[in-house]
Amino acid sequence: MKILIAEDEIELQKSIATYLERDGNICEVTSKYDDAVYKVTLYDYDIIILDINLISGSGLDVLKILKKEKKTTGVIIISANNSLDDKLEGLDLGADDYITKPFHLAELNSRIKAVLRRGKYGGDETIEFNEIKVDTKSRSVYINNNTIGLTRKEYDLLLFFITNKGRVLSKEIIAEHLWGDSSDLLDNFDFIYVHINNLRKKLTAEGAKYIKTAYGTGYKFIEE
Amino acid sequence: MSHKPKKIKLLRKASKTFLLLSTCLMIAGTIVLYFYTKILLQAEVEEELYSTQARIESALLKGHKPFSLPPTIEVRQISRLQPEYLKDTLIYDSSQNEVEDFRELSTFKNIKGKNYQITVRNLVVESKDIFLGIVFSYFLIILIAFLFLYYFNTKGNKKLWSPFFENIEQMKQFSIRSEEPVKLIESDILEFSELNTQFSTLTNKVRADYENLKQFTEDVSHEMQTPLAIMQAKIENIINENTINDSQYEQFSSIQRDIQRLKQLNKHLTLLTKIENNQFIRVEVVDISNVMEEIVQNFNELFHNQIQFIEKEHINLNMDPYLADILCNNLISNAVKHSKNNQLIEVTLKNKKLSVSNHGTKTLKNPEKLFIRFYRESHSNQSTGLGLAILKKICALYDFEIEYNFVNEQHVFSVNFKNNFRIPS
Repeated sequence: MKILIAEDEIELQKSIATYLERDGNICEVTSKYDDAVYKVTLYDYDIIILDINLISGSGLDVLKILKKEKKTTGVIIISANNSLDDKLEGLDLGADDYITKPFHLAELNSRIKAVLRRGKYGGDETIEFNEIKVDTKSRSVYINNNTIGLTRKEYDLLLFFITNKGRVLSKEIIAEHLWGDSSDLLDNFDFIYVHINNLRKKLTAEGAKYIKTAYGTGYKFIEE
Repeated sequence: MSHKPKKIKLLRKASKTFLLLSTCLMIAGTIVLYFYTKILLQAEVEEELYSTQARIESALLKGHKPFSLPPTIEVRQISRLQPEYLKDTLIYDSSQNEVEDFRELSTFKNIKGKNYQITVRNLVVESKDIFLGIVFSYFLIILIAFLFLYYFNTKGNKKLWSPFFENIEQMKQFSIRSEEPVKLIESDILEFSELNTQFSTLTNKVRADYENLKQFTEDVSHEMQTPLAIMQAKIENIINENTINDSQYEQFSSIQRDIQRLKQLNKHLTLLTKIENNQFIRVEVVDISNVMEEIVQNFNELFHNQIQFIEKEHINLNMDPYLADILCNNLISNAVKHSKNNQLIEVTLKNKKLSVSNHGTKTLKNPEKLFIRFYRESHSNQSTGLGLAILKKICALYDFEIEYNFVNEQHVFSVNFKNNFRIPS
């Protein structure tokens, strides 16, 4: 995947690039508006991670140019402003997703994958991990071609694990992914264990033992 | 126990003071005048006595026969001269048929070889009469003054103080959130004019400060997001580099939790500020039971059917759909947060009232503080302490009534929508 990260904070830019490059993605970075416009008109990216505040310009203007050029690039807006209006404006202009700072890189990664999966950028709507096959259109999961019944949250969890395979996911990251950030934070993440354990049981029953514990309290979806 | 002193109106207070002062002055004045008049009258009477005595004496010298006109004049021949004296005496006056107070002067003279006692008396005005006269005059003066004052108060003073009273009404209308400065009536009275200037300066300052504070909250929240994002991203990268041990991971997790707290705090503060700034102007018809239904479903997926929506009716409200979502969400997450051991949470919606109840052993210690920002009943949880404050603000915005009750070992939060059938301005 070829990804452009347009973000005015160099440190954040570098961190996002580091995370995404681990999956073998090619990341280009820029912090300036002019440079971003230049890059998106000249090259084709699979996805652009676009900050609204760029040096000497707005990310939304980059988005407008992109749409005028009829590029099929997926766009995820990142912004420090969590106002609903900004979000709506971004989505109206044709952004595929919107994420508010601060965000988990795993969450960003899963959003990127979700955007790419959607047919309009020629992505594949099925995800495979060894014997596990996930059809994201019908939201069904097969292991060795046998359907397994998952609840909605278990399905979301599995998808999150697969898209962030090999990464350590803390229960906080998982909780936020499952719950969204619309609610006040809970100090008790017991409810996460229940969902993870149920999913793990269902997968293990089919022989897919990929959910591992990492560092005692975190999780990792990995093939040994 | 402190008790509030009774407030009195300025004009009444002024008249009251005047009346009190006049009464005191009248009493003092009466006493002084009484003695002064009495001394004056007595001096006058004595002068007259001396003058009469002198005339009688000169008449006797000219050879007139001694004569008497009791009780005012008596001339007697006596054997021996005595020193003259002046005294008060009571004599029965047959003409008036009563005992009268007289002043009496007796002199002893030797005229043409004969010794005479010349006694002249004069009626004295009685003390009681002087006193009554003075009190009556005073009473009359006060009465006239009071009538005049009353007229002056109701008409004159009212007009005089009218800029003051009207400006007080204006000041009562003052709202810290209003964009417009307070409009005060100009007056040609120096003090009123000064008061206006001071009040305007003060309110402008307060409004500016309030504006700055709001801006500050928003700016700080906003500016904090990017550094937090950097911290969070770096921690995630470190964790994924596989070079740390379990205890370091625990510490990083803990930092991540704190970053999340700050993020939530920012989010909630910004939301609160926005509600206070009336930035939610979008008003749509929202069926609150549908919103609640969806949220209950979402929560139940996570918390294994812990929440039951027992009774429901369809209520259409005029409000921002985003805030409707927050309202339901905060009610439920508050209940979830404080419900122990997966006890059932019940949601009812009937008679235009939405109630969410969770089990509890005893009533809260300070229910009146529940809706104050950053108030936490217990310090065990990591909530931002803003969830209920936001609820309260949303309710205030749309004229909902929110209350907390403890009934049958249940903490019940209810929102009454009965007032919301108009669009808030």
